[in-house]
Amino acid sequence: MNLLARRVVIVTGKGGVGKTTVASAIALAAAERGRKVALCETQGSRRVPDLFDRPSKGYKLTEVHPGLSTLSITSDQAIEDYILQQVKVRALYKLAFKNRVMGPFMRAVPGLHDLVQLGKVWDLERLRDAGEPTWDLVVVDAPATGHGLTMLKSPQSMMDLTVAGPFHDNAKLIRDLVVDAQRTALVLVSLPEEMPVNETIELYERLEGFRAQVALSVLNEVHPTVIGHPDTWPRAREHLAGRAELAEAVRFADRAHVREVAQATARRRLADALPCALAELPFLFHRDLRLRDLKGLATALDPWLEA
Amino acid sequence: MARVLICAGSGGVGKTTTAAALSVALARRGLKVAVLTIDPARRLADSLDIGDIGNEARRVPLPDAHLDAIMLDQKATFDDVVQRFAPDPETRARILDNHYYRYVSTRLAGTHEYMAMEKLYDLWASGSYDVVVLDTPPARHALDFLQAPDKMAGLMDEGVMHWLTLPRNALGFRVLERGSTALVGVFRRLIGERTMSDIAEFFHLFHQLWAGFNERSKKARSLLSSADTRLLLVTTPAPAARAEAQAFLDAIEAAGMPFGGFLVNRVVPSPTAPPPAREAFGDPPAAMDAGTWDALVEAVREAPAHQERLATATGRYLDALRLEAGDAPLWRVPELDREVHDLAGLTVIADHLSPAIDELGF
Repeated sequence: MNLLARRVVIVTGKGGVGKTTVASAIALAAAERGRKVALCETQGSRRVPDLFDRPSKGYKLTEVHPGLSTLSITSDQAIEDYILQQVKVRALYKLAFKNRVMGPFMRAVPGLHDLVQLGKVWDLERLRDAGEPTWDLVVVDAPATGHGLTMLKSPQSMMDLTVAGPFHDNAKLIRDLVVDAQRTALVLVSLPEEMPVNETIELYERLEGFRAQVALSVLNEVHPTVIGHPDTWPRAREHLAGRAELAEAVRFADRAHVREVAQATARRRLADALPCALAELPFLFHRDLRLRDLKGLATALDPWLEA
Repeated sequence: MARVLICAGSGGVGKTTTAAALSVALARRGLKVAVLTIDPARRLADSLDIGDIGNEARRVPLPDAHLDAIMLDQKATFDDVVQRFAPDPETRARILDNHYYRYVSTRLAGTHEYMAMEKLYDLWASGSYDVVVLDTPPARHALDFLQAPDKMAGLMDEGVMHWLTLPRNALGFRVLERGSTALVGVFRRLIGERTMSDIAEFFHLFHQLWAGFNERSKKARSLLSSADTRLLLVTTPAPAARAEAQAFLDAIEAAGMPFGGFLVNRVVPSPTAPPPAREAFGDPPAAMDAGTWDALVEAVREAPAHQERLATATGRYLDALRLEAGDAPLWRVPELDREVHDLAGLTVIADHLSPAIDELGF
């Protein structure tokens, strides 16, 4: 379950649950422990630099915090890298990119745009400085659920598609990294609400060959307890019903109660369905997420890095 | 002419539920309504109480209302397109059997959005409805729905198909021929002979129905900018909402599409009364110990303050959205006490959407 002992941590979950925030907090927590961390956004998303109050340099790795660098992977640029660095046929590269037609042509290859983004991650993982890994940990802010799964499976899909040849051999190297539970961990992010938890459990079930890699699930935006006493509250509510001067306060209290019950249910369902550690992050009342908040979240996740 | 409402928005904002509630509200006003949903979790089918929902319209059991629900099956929709435009049964069968077609029709980026548009056009052109409501595919960004079809159209573009089919019919393309043959050769080496021939065969066959396909997708696109269409951005008071709204407004303005307004879900209401005094609570219910009762009374007295904190935290994002919206309408749907599971729940939201429907001129 030790995230810090892995080489790659891939963060996924339903859209809108805070994958980018969690990926950033994990990366920051690892960096605060002195690790050299590369944090990759996928599909051209560029939200991380902003969290650190730095301008984005897109595909170019840029340090946003001591020990923490980030980049935004786009499939177009990753395809170029893939051809140039991994297939290592310069003539082919020239042919491909001096030629306007090649772009759409490459996009026509099934699953290539997903594969090359993982290819870039693989590339960062194997980078060495004087024999030592350049990056101790590569954290990936992966696409949401369905697409995230497609991306994880893209190396195998490419291998099935091509059967042999350079793409096949290269996809195999990437596949070997992604399916290796010693080197790659998955983190599933969820919210303490019914639908996101359903989707997280469904995603876990669909992960099949990757289940062993799920090292941590994160319940994000957990609200503080206001009411407590989940079993007793309904009786108190009944008792107070019909009292006009209390109606609004009781309604808000009940709302808080419903949320607390939903949170407890979410916690229990995730713990039952996913045989991994479950971390929780608090709902932030000042959600204009600043570095100070992110540090708070990183501190909250720190115990789980080596859990 | 049927009117069209398109609900766009990023993942997790309640887009599917909003589209369904809008449809319920419209149908209750006596309009014939179709709602096309993309919800992969099939939760909508449950809340609409129609059991199995599929690519064909199913009537929603709403008393005295005409509401059909359709769940997009992108593969079946693409198959229909092939069916419609293939010049002969043999071409049709070969496309449907082609390995690469299976990829294009199920997993190629943009196909989902493209087929949603195709199905929308189909429902609109059927003449059976007064309004068609579209719930757009799950997306990271609200803009994906507007941009994805272009990506797919780019791939299907005639120019690319020319290149791919050139080795077979290269007459008159002497200069290009050498380059393209080399390209195809390189490709064959990279992705394997079988895949290459699947791709080449697919484009070769598809070429024959391109004209019909293209013609129809142009019509579908023009439906998006028709005067009878409104795009709605479904959103929530969250940090990213303002930037998203800005990008969305810019994009639809650039594309000449008519904007309807913002539908903001999960608006947290502020307390209107001060917290009640301790004395107002009276005695505990029978058989509840005094300690628990005291704790609960204090909790109830604190609940409005907690509610206010929540309202303030999210209200700032609502203000920012309001600013971004300018003159455009912005409708609020309060956060619900319970999750929506059935038609009754949808009806509650439908009531909140009433002002939106009025303002949209229904």
